[in-house]
Amino acid sequence: MAITQRLSPAAERRDRSGWSFDPKIAGIAGALICALPVMALVPMAIAGGGGHFSHLFETVLGTYTFNSILLVAAAMAGTTLLAVPTAWLTARYEFAGRRLAMVLLPLPLAMPSYVAAYAWMSMSVAGGPLNAATGGLFPSISGVAGASFVFSLCFYPYVFLLARQAFASEGSHSFEAARILGAGPFRAFWKVALPIARPAIMAGLALVAMETLADYGTVDFLGSPTFTVGIIRAWISFGDPEAAARMALILVILTLAFFGFERWIRRRRSIAQAGGRHRPNPRVQLSGGRGAVALLFCLIPVTLGLFAPVAHLLQLTLETPRQASPWAAVGGTLTVASLSALLAIVIGVGAAYAARSGGTLARISVRIAHAGYAVPGAVAALGVIAILGAAQSLIGGISWAASVTISGGGLLALLFAYQARFAAAAIGPCESAFQRITHSMDQAARSLGASRFEVIRRVHLPLASSGMITAAALVFIEVMKELPATMILRPLDFETLAISAHHFASDERLAQAALPSLILVGLGIPVMLLIGWLSEREQT
Amino acid sequence: MTNPTLRATGLTKLRGGKRVLDNVDLTLEQGSVTAILGPSGAGKSTLLRAIAGLEDLESGTIESDTQILTNGGALVLPEHRNIGMVFQDFSLFPHLSVIDNVLFGLRRGSNEERRSRALAMLEQVHLAGRANDYPHMLSGGEQQRIALARALAPAPDMILLDEAFSGLDGKLRAELRDTALAAIAAQGAAALMVTHDAEEAMYMADTLALMIDGQIVQSGAPAELYLNPVSASAARLLGEINEWDGPIENGKLQTPFGPIPATASGLSQGMALVRPEGIDISLNPAGEYRAQDVHALGANLAIRVEAPDSTIWLTKITIESAVKAGDRLQVTLNPHFCTIAV
Repeated sequence: MAITQRLSPAAERRDRSGWSFDPKIAGIAGALICALPVMALVPMAIAGGGGHFSHLFETVLGTYTFNSILLVAAAMAGTTLLAVPTAWLTARYEFAGRRLAMVLLPLPLAMPSYVAAYAWMSMSVAGGPLNAATGGLFPSISGVAGASFVFSLCFYPYVFLLARQAFASEGSHSFEAARILGAGPFRAFWKVALPIARPAIMAGLALVAMETLADYGTVDFLGSPTFTVGIIRAWISFGDPEAAARMALILVILTLAFFGFERWIRRRRSIAQAGGRHRPNPRVQLSGGRGAVALLFCLIPVTLGLFAPVAHLLQLTLETPRQASPWAAVGGTLTVASLSALLAIVIGVGAAYAARSGGTLARISVRIAHAGYAVPGAVAALGVIAILGAAQSLIGGISWAASVTISGGGLLALLFAYQARFAAAAIGPCESAFQRITHSMDQAARSLGASRFEVIRRVHLPLASSGMITAAALVFIEVMKELPATMILRPLDFETLAISAHHFASDERLAQAALPSLILVGLGIPVMLLIGWLSEREQT
Repeated sequence: MTNPTLRATGLTKLRGGKRVLDNVDLTLEQGSVTAILGPSGAGKSTLLRAIAGLEDLESGTIESDTQILTNGGALVLPEHRNIGMVFQDFSLFPHLSVIDNVLFGLRRGSNEERRSRALAMLEQVHLAGRANDYPHMLSGGEQQRIALARALAPAPDMILLDEAFSGLDGKLRAELRDTALAAIAAQGAAALMVTHDAEEAMYMADTLALMIDGQIVQSGAPAELYLNPVSASAARLLGEINEWDGPIENGKLQTPFGPIPATASGLSQGMALVRPEGIDISLNPAGEYRAQDVHALGANLAIRVEAPDSTIWLTKITIESAVKAGDRLQVTLNPHFCTIAV
């Protein structure tokens, strides 16, 4: 009795060891970081009279909405076409090069979509290699169609990874059950394997939609403007915080809808998965010829999404003798990406502890923090500005508009905005890492004489370390690629690779944009490989 | 003897240089249950999957009474083999209701007929009332029965059960065995089950096959296998066994617990295998044997007995016996429970 009392969570907080930690606080802090910027947008949006906004509404909002709908629909269709067949092939069949294909297929996540856009545009315009090679038959990659093409190539890994997992676990068993019950391979795929993987595919597509809506660099460069372009124009070009905030709120409502859809699907799915236990089935061996076809097919998405653009950018770089020095931008990118990764681990681990042992309030807070993933960078950045503005006007009593304009700087504000957007990406892996550490493991360790600190050092950290590294790596990559938040919040003399690539590309100096773009991809690929290796190790 | 429903000969399967199946022969008969028992990794599931057509083979033939199903590679696709299968994880389709799961394999006949057949199958496993529920709403035992009903619904020639009861606990498991046996008997199908649970295999099987390292080392009626194992490892699969290596002289192998007659002639060396039930013990203050420890085990007492030369064997006698640890005993061997393996 004495022991169980001492080990209950409530008693732990009163532990006489002197070192105490209330996980609830970490959870609430995580929730505030994600929710505050969005909430701060509301007063900012209703501050002005709205005259400019109604004008805006008539002129551009229609275009933004139309483009957004088209882009989301086309990106979903494109990613499905690229991801579902490759996921099925690699989950279900064994062929020479399958492991290589599995390593390569997720890699376009290391490719910022705007970089792919620069490369494809440059390859396909008149005078570009693709245009020349096809005698002008290959359409120029631009506009809504071009952006959909680029998004499909860059975002299909979200669908691929989730669909593959679903096919490999429940899908293949049910597929075999269906075959034995007399269904041919096609009927078994359409009637059983695909419907079972459908929730996973839909969840992946929701991520694709959120990424599409959050993108700024691609739609701006290819000329198919959406809300992010509107927000940045209103803020940077017109200095109109009300209009920017209103568009940001519209955008965040859209992304939250997709986010809610994704969560709903995942929750339903976890119920459906509850029955039965799964051990993976052996894959079906494909003989030489058919195996080669399968491998070639699996290499198409990664060739279009990564190899071809990188090869072209490499060529552009080598052909351009006088390059601006990229080192300041490399330094800036590495600084913000690693600081953000460290911060995200602190928030992620704190939130994971909160979700694990913190009670209802903490769990709700962590759920709110998850929604940060639905907050596009432009929205997060604008929200941080609104918070700073509100804080300043509270302190100094300066008027809204004025204070907002002065406060748009500082590395801290930038890091805050990154956490608002990406902390959720760290909370997920941290949480699942800590979920596997049961309370009875804690109790076993304590009963074996370990102090609370020792439990963390000898039990929690070894078990959770790969989840924490994955979390840090994800945030590192995302922050490197992030463009709109950086554009809005960066201090004037602060350069990152994303910023300098975007500036060169906007000035139609693609040859100069190639080098920072390449460095960005070159930094991202090893990190993606690390993430893949860690997740593979988890599964075995 | 009726016609075999399925005959498999010389099945061989390599995986990573290891022989997962090593020249396996197997015959299944209509209306009879065959169980394959073996430790995990013995190749049991691979054998089952090969028969279902889910796994290619390096060599070997599988034929039904009408056609050749496999000759090396799979000739007849799984969906055309008319085989039912119950998976360890049940593999119910989570997006289909119970009745739709059972209807999935029923493709002939009008909708009316298919539906009444499916309901009859659910009736057979006592779950007609759950027809419109979804799999996740059912308990493990209910899911298992649905999987059985789904497999039997198309009236397969043969039904395969892959560790079909191992996900369930004690009492439920025992009930389900009887439900499954009754349902299989009602269909008149040949059944092949694999398990690593000796009690389950012996309870359900008409014919039992012991599989170790990809080979079937012995097959026959369960009682025959229990009493006359061909080797120590075969004996261990079905329960506890006392082993003694020694020379055979004058047709007998002398063990610390008494002589065992050798049935085969010409052997000079052998291994005596004695089931714990085959050692009769009685209290005798002048006995040379001693009860080392005594434990209750179901209806029996499990007693470790020490021989004069300090060899310790396990014995089992019915629980009413008044033997206590430290008692002096005399022992006799019951020849039915003793055998000599090479």
